Amino acid sequence: MLKIENISKSYSKGAIKAVDNISLDIKPGEIFGFLGPNGAGKTTTIKMIVGLLKPDSGKITVGTVDAWENPLEAKSMISYVPDNPEIYDRLKGIEYLNFIADMYGIPKDKREEKMNYFIELFNIKDAIGDIIASYSHGMKQKLVLTSALLNNPKLFILDEPLVGLDPKSAFNLKEIMRNMCNEGKTVFFSTHVLEVAEKLCDRIAIINKGKIIAMGTMEELRAHAEERESLENIFLELTE
Amino acid sequence: MNKIISLIKTDFNTTFGLSAIAYSFKAKKNRWQIILFSLAMLSILPSYILIIKSLNGMYDIYSQIGQKSMFLLSGFLGSQIMIFVFGLLYVMSKYYFSNDLTHLVPLPIKPSHIIGAKFGTLMLSEYLTSLPIILPFIIIYGVKGGEGPIYWLYSILLVAFLPVIPLVLASIVIMIFMKYTNIGARKDLIRIISAVLFIVVMVYVQLKIQTIAQKALMEGDNFLINLITDSNLLVKKLGIGFPPSMWGALSLSNNSNVIGIINLTSFIGVAIISFLIMIFLSEKLFFDGLIGNIEVSASKGKNRKKLSLSDSVRQTKPYLALAKKEVTMLFKTPIYLMNAVGGVIILPLIFAMSNISGGDQSMDQLIKLLGINQGIIALVGIGFIVALGMLNSIGSTTFSREGKCFWIQRTLPIKVEDQIIGRVLSSLAVQVLGVIALLVSLTFIVKLEITTMMLITLLGLLGSIPMTQLGMIIDILRPLLDWDNPQKAMKQNLNVLIGMGIGTIYAGALVLLVMKILDKVDINLIYGILTLVFVISSIVLFSVLKKLIIKQFEVLE
Repeated sequence: MLKIENISKSYSKGAIKAVDNISLDIKPGEIFGFLGPNGAGKTTTIKMIVGLLKPDSGKITVGTVDAWENPLEAKSMISYVPDNPEIYDRLKGIEYLNFIADMYGIPKDKREEKMNYFIELFNIKDAIGDIIASYSHGMKQKLVLTSALLNNPKLFILDEPLVGLDPKSAFNLKEIMRNMCNEGKTVFFSTHVLEVAEKLCDRIAIINKGKIIAMGTMEELRAHAEERESLENIFLELTE
Repeated sequence: MNKIISLIKTDFNTTFGLSAIAYSFKAKKNRWQIILFSLAMLSILPSYILIIKSLNGMYDIYSQIGQKSMFLLSGFLGSQIMIFVFGLLYVMSKYYFSNDLTHLVPLPIKPSHIIGAKFGTLMLSEYLTSLPIILPFIIIYGVKGGEGPIYWLYSILLVAFLPVIPLVLASIVIMIFMKYTNIGARKDLIRIISAVLFIVVMVYVQLKIQTIAQKALMEGDNFLINLITDSNLLVKKLGIGFPPSMWGALSLSNNSNVIGIINLTSFIGVAIISFLIMIFLSEKLFFDGLIGNIEVSASKGKNRKKLSLSDSVRQTKPYLALAKKEVTMLFKTPIYLMNAVGGVIILPLIFAMSNISGGDQSMDQLIKLLGINQGIIALVGIGFIVALGMLNSIGSTTFSREGKCFWIQRTLPIKVEDQIIGRVLSSLAVQVLGVIALLVSLTFIVKLEITTMMLITLLGLLGSIPMTQLGMIIDILRPLLDWDNPQKAMKQNLNVLIGMGIGTIYAGALVLLVMKILDKVDINLIYGILTLVFVISSIVLFSVLKKLIIKQFEVLE
């Protein structure tokens, strides 16, 4: 579903290599965790997938579509949740949801059904008539999540999705991710929370200094590391 | 003291983006940006030179009637009024709506420290407003009058202190205003209504005072005799409306004697004292207006209506949804509302009001000229609306206004055609208000025929399309996305200036064309030509814009 071939990105005219020749192949129905210390290149990679940063080289394919050749087609399959929910704070919650749904061209009855379900689930039903500037950080995040789920994306990309969510919403989000995979959708997310990755992900990649240093299922990763107990130990050992 | 210095340093740095500029120099920006900018600057230059030339003539006239000091007064009054008017907007956004406040307020510093530092940065911005106005006056007077070193020394001091008093006044007005409007859930609305009322009343009162002063001046029995005996008479009479300007003019025109030094001392002394008063007042006023101001109230309690989803969910075409979102943001963000929407309504209003209050005599001649021919009224009206199409700055800031939310536009599957149409529509929606304001204003001045109204509306709006597109082209080439205060996206955005420059070239060429052929061909042919030009340039700019947006959406970082 998401195929990344040899992508690289550098800043300051090649002086800093943020992402260095990364390749990934993620299948439908897979939850893929993207781990790494701060500044390792996680967000840069995600931004290249969703169309916010053009790779210096390499190819990104979503489904069968080249994401940079036919961006519109690729984008209509993707939903993206950034690490920081910067959204139009002068709109009302409902106006924002309608706007996003319009951009994906979602018909009225379908968007109503989705909205109803998710605003209930994330407990923001009472707030969607208010302007977004009055929301807390967590509420904004829930609104962004809701808007990202309206189009029933084939590829769901999240950057640090669990930071700032209350425990119940975090639990719900994990359920949603799991359910999406059961429906054959693909979830790709970055995280610092190793426990989540360990429990939730089918496969994990660990990125450090722009390069992928380990990739595989939990078992495969364990086999590589000397300290074989937790992901934390593997992570610490590899990223040292 | 260290605290204040540190505050000022940080504020300078963030306001003028010194670190960011240094950073972008290292990254070496594209060359066409500099070319575009210089082009815009060059296009403004001829009109500036023209203004300076006419100032030269103005000096000669005052010199002939022996009232040279009046020339200086015009300069001081002009620049100080400009500083005050711009100051109101700057102060409002800088003191009350900038994002650094959420960091500053919890720090152990006094309100007066924050105000002092912010005032310092504003002073520097205001020099950009005041210098281009006051310098020609001072230089023309000094050079033509062959003034000595004391004149130039005085000038430096006066120019340095020039923004203080108007900016202090603006600060105090805004602080009082914010303190007493910081009430209830609808404070944004209350503020906007009172601000519009304030501006309308201010313009009216100003024009009224001018009329009265002019009349009083002429009516005196010994006016002509006094005029000959007292070379500062006009300044003393007309400067009374704003004494600091009068002191400035008198200190320069009397730089060789004691009157000069007295006036200079008054100018600087009052500036310093007024600054201290403002600092003192800020301790009492600032936090009252600020605290609770940043919070946006959610509807709570019994007023909260149960929102029914099925009523509020509706599907809209993407370009319409985009236009709707743009218009909502323009109307709900106070800074945008004041500048973009307020601008297109207030400009025609000022046009009309100056006529009703009888302040401007040249207007009479203009009306006579206009009254003769409905065709010319239509052409002037169309030109006015087309000019508003750029002046509303909606096109030239459309992408900049997205700011940190720009990711939304870039990650959604939005067709580039929808992007363009939606954004142009949002500009046209605001332009419609301008058309209404203009037509209403015009009916006070002159009898309008239905066909004239139709022509102004249709051709004005049609001509606004290429203007908006020109602005959008500039904005997509160099969007200003990294801002913490909406003020920066609109008022401190160079794209607005560049847009006006390029818009002037485009509109100027059209005006020249129309004036060339006005006597020679039928007026209907002119409308036809204009329609053709507007349609063709809209189509050409549309395809240019399409390519640019696709490219820029890819490469922007």
